[in-house]
Amino acid sequence: MTAVAAKIRMRAGRALFLGVVAAAYGFLLLPLVIVVLASFNSGELLTFPPEGFSLRWYEHFFNSEPFMNSLFFSLWLAALAMAVSTVLGTAAALYVVRFAGRWRDTIRLLIVTPLLLPEILSAVALLFFFYSIGLGKTVIGLVIGHVLITLPFVFLAVASVLYNFDSSLEEAARSLGANKLATFRRVTLPLIKPGVISGALLAFIVSFDLFAISLLLKGIGLETLPIQLFDYVTWDFDPTAAAVSTVSIAITMLAVLLIDRIVGLRSLRF
Amino acid sequence: MDHPPIALDSGPAAVAGASVAPRGGRLVSARRLPKNSVLLILPTLLFLACFLVAPYFNMLVMSFRNPSTSAVYAPGFTVANYTRALTDPYYFGVLAQTVVLGAVTTLICVLIAYPVAYHLARTSSRWKGLLYVGVLSPLLVGVVIRCYGWIILLANNGLINNAVKKLGLVKLGLPLMYNSFGVGVGLVHVFLPFMVLPILSAIQSIDPALEDAARSLGASRARTMARIVIPLSLPGIQAGAILVFVLSISAYVIPILLGALKVKLMPTLVVQLLIDAFLWPFGAALAFILAASGGIVVYLFIRATGRLMRGLR
Amino acid sequence: MTKVTISRLTKRFGTAIAVDDLSIEIGEGELVSLLGPSGCGKTTTLRSIAGFVEPDVGQILFDGVDITSLPPERRNIGMVFQNYALFPHMTVRQNLSFGLEMRRVARNEMAERIDAVLDIVQLAGLEDRYPRELSGGQQQRVALARGLVIEPAVLLLDEPLANLDAKLREEMRFFIRSLQKRVGITTVYVTHDQAEAMVISDRIVVMFDGRIRQIGDATKIYARPVSREVADFIGLSNFIDGRVKARSEDGYYLVETPLGEIRCRSELTLAAGDAALVMVRPESVRLSREPPDNPDLNGITGRVRDRFYLGNIAGYRVLCGDGSVLQVQEAPWHAGAVGDTVWCLFKSELAWIIPR
Repeated sequence: MTAVAAKIRMRAGRALFLGVVAAAYGFLLLPLVIVVLASFNSGELLTFPPEGFSLRWYEHFFNSEPFMNSLFFSLWLAALAMAVSTVLGTAAALYVVRFAGRWRDTIRLLIVTPLLLPEILSAVALLFFFYSIGLGKTVIGLVIGHVLITLPFVFLAVASVLYNFDSSLEEAARSLGANKLATFRRVTLPLIKPGVISGALLAFIVSFDLFAISLLLKGIGLETLPIQLFDYVTWDFDPTAAAVSTVSIAITMLAVLLIDRIVGLRSLRF
Repeated sequence: MDHPPIALDSGPAAVAGASVAPRGGRLVSARRLPKNSVLLILPTLLFLACFLVAPYFNMLVMSFRNPSTSAVYAPGFTVANYTRALTDPYYFGVLAQTVVLGAVTTLICVLIAYPVAYHLARTSSRWKGLLYVGVLSPLLVGVVIRCYGWIILLANNGLINNAVKKLGLVKLGLPLMYNSFGVGVGLVHVFLPFMVLPILSAIQSIDPALEDAARSLGASRARTMARIVIPLSLPGIQAGAILVFVLSISAYVIPILLGALKVKLMPTLVVQLLIDAFLWPFGAALAFILAASGGIVVYLFIRATGRLMRGLR
Repeated sequence: MTKVTISRLTKRFGTAIAVDDLSIEIGEGELVSLLGPSGCGKTTTLRSIAGFVEPDVGQILFDGVDITSLPPERRNIGMVFQNYALFPHMTVRQNLSFGLEMRRVARNEMAERIDAVLDIVQLAGLEDRYPRELSGGQQQRVALARGLVIEPAVLLLDEPLANLDAKLREEMRFFIRSLQKRVGITTVYVTHDQAEAMVISDRIVVMFDGRIRQIGDATKIYARPVSREVADFIGLSNFIDGRVKARSEDGYYLVETPLGEIRCRSELTLAAGDAALVMVRPESVRLSREPPDNPDLNGITGRVRDRFYLGNIAGYRVLCGDGSVLQVQEAPWHAGAVGDTVWCLFKSELAWIIPR
């Protein structure tokens, strides 16, 4: 094969490769883009090309009592789950990275297990358990279920920051005369704050989007936004669901942006 | 030279029993561990014991209880739930379909995720960060929303079929939803990032000089991928495959939204038995059978790929 | 035995110019070192010859054939990487057979060639080990063997000894050199270690900022550097600023400097009044209590400021009249003391005017 032909072949191969990669990204993002676009469509959902720009579906959304109630409930639930799991998870991460000794791997595995087990299984298990101890269909049960899933995220985020923590910084502080508590307050805590905050935000996002757990553990009449959306979508196709989805995506993206600002998404390596 | 004599044994004196050199991020005293550090982990351990270990144990017990029509369970214990689940062709069929769909999903995910992961690992483009976000962000959007997007696309009067009908290609439109295809698309889409990330991590740990070395020895890009990159990234592929498989067979929302009643998979069935029919013992048994089946498939998979990864340590 | 020609090679990364209009011809069987500090463009040049870097301008020719647009796998090169790049999932034998498999060499011939090359690098018996089971020096030799067993047209080495400890590095230099001579393969060797370059090369190419500053054998580069940069990079030097006073009949120049009149050599044609930078290597200088006793000897007076003993030499720093410091190296048993007033003597032949 001549040099020119070899070069053409190389270029073609590379173009094919990039084409496949681009198609894959398209596949990943297409549904999200479609949903956002559909929310602004003035016509009924499934026409293409879109008929025009309109915010009427957002009006529907904000005027709909069930949706608004579920939105606020989801936000409140996510905030609560975030708070509880951040406290527990940060303390756990501190212990596991600093003090755990030979129990380190076992405890770490235990904390991460809810992520490894299928969410539906954990939901079923909790459903049975709460029923037998009287917490069935209560808000507390729901919160506990959310914390169970979000706790590992906080733990992993804080633990990863702690692992990479340069212990010589603490040593320097101690050599300068700070005792353990002061060192923790003035040196360690400020430096792991990004990890804690990003873990908390991650917990918020995860809780906000949880479905299976919420479905099985919720009480009567108390819907989270994903469940309300699910109900709506199974019976009706109109783009109000798209508006709801877009608002949900926006909330999520906001949290992601915050994480990126604070810590950088690339550091989320577990 | 006029230097004052240096006292070699002054300086921070070693106080008996005080700090030993810290290792790996821990400040450990040579005496005993401070007891109050355990307080850090106690709440979490209690929480997990009460709400993770106990419920699963309870569910296991539940699966052996006698079913009842008037309450969630009747007194007494039995193995009948399991035998019924494993011998009844209907339930066995659902299990088989679930496992097969999971395997197919996993395979397709590997094929799509690998090029994406390789590109992301090796690219030096300034959009790298954005691409990374592109892979991660679908994960952070709720599964209901992601399925909804596919509904818009795949429904009979959805975007794709509208375009196809308008162009006169297929008169009645293509059956893209409420079947295994639709569910499969949803599963692949939702779990693709979980395949990309482990493979990405594996490829990143492969020294690019190895690829250069192979090429300098005469291997084309394709052969370099086949002989060097793919074998060395096998641990990542294995991890991703296990993750995606387990997630696929336990998916609940996706089959319901994209398959409705036409596609019956185990998680759907389990929830149906629990919420609609109140057959808790049987439902529990099915849940464990699903988990066990997944476990067996994963185990066999690890054994099979373990031999392929022999040279990697 | 392949001739390598690089013609006007230029490569930019963004706004930075890594290699700037570089041209050189490397003869058959020659070992040429690309020597320079980090960032001077030597690695980029090497990778351009290999095909991993596509030049913006310029051509690369093997035996007159333009291979610039060929991908690396088609160039028939052997390359040895700084961290060896041995395939971790393959044994030594499999690493060595890889290149032969790509060339569809028959099985029995493959086995012969592998055994032969393992003998050459003295690693016979280790074929079935994995790279992680070998020492650094052994891995290095496997990398070398892997590049040689395919009998390439050109051998390229990218700082192959950088990760070895000092003693091993010295041994391996001689090993690589004798191996290369024995096989007779055209070789391009990248290094930042000037001692290494001087030991193994037929010619040294000194590079700064993407450009070639000087090409020559070790003696030429060391004794007759073309610029202050080159002189500074290779070994230690003393620099003395001055003006040309006159030119003598036997080709020497008389240069007037703040430290006295110096008789020195130069390749340039200089006129009286021209500025001149004189370079004298520390080992060319002798310390004496007496001033110079013949016209061929230069002498600069001063006081010993420091003396240090390095085992193989005694080094001196002599403070001269105008405040400048002269570095001197004497034999280790030379007895001088701080504070002594001395004459620094050096032959005219060893004083060299560097072109500015």
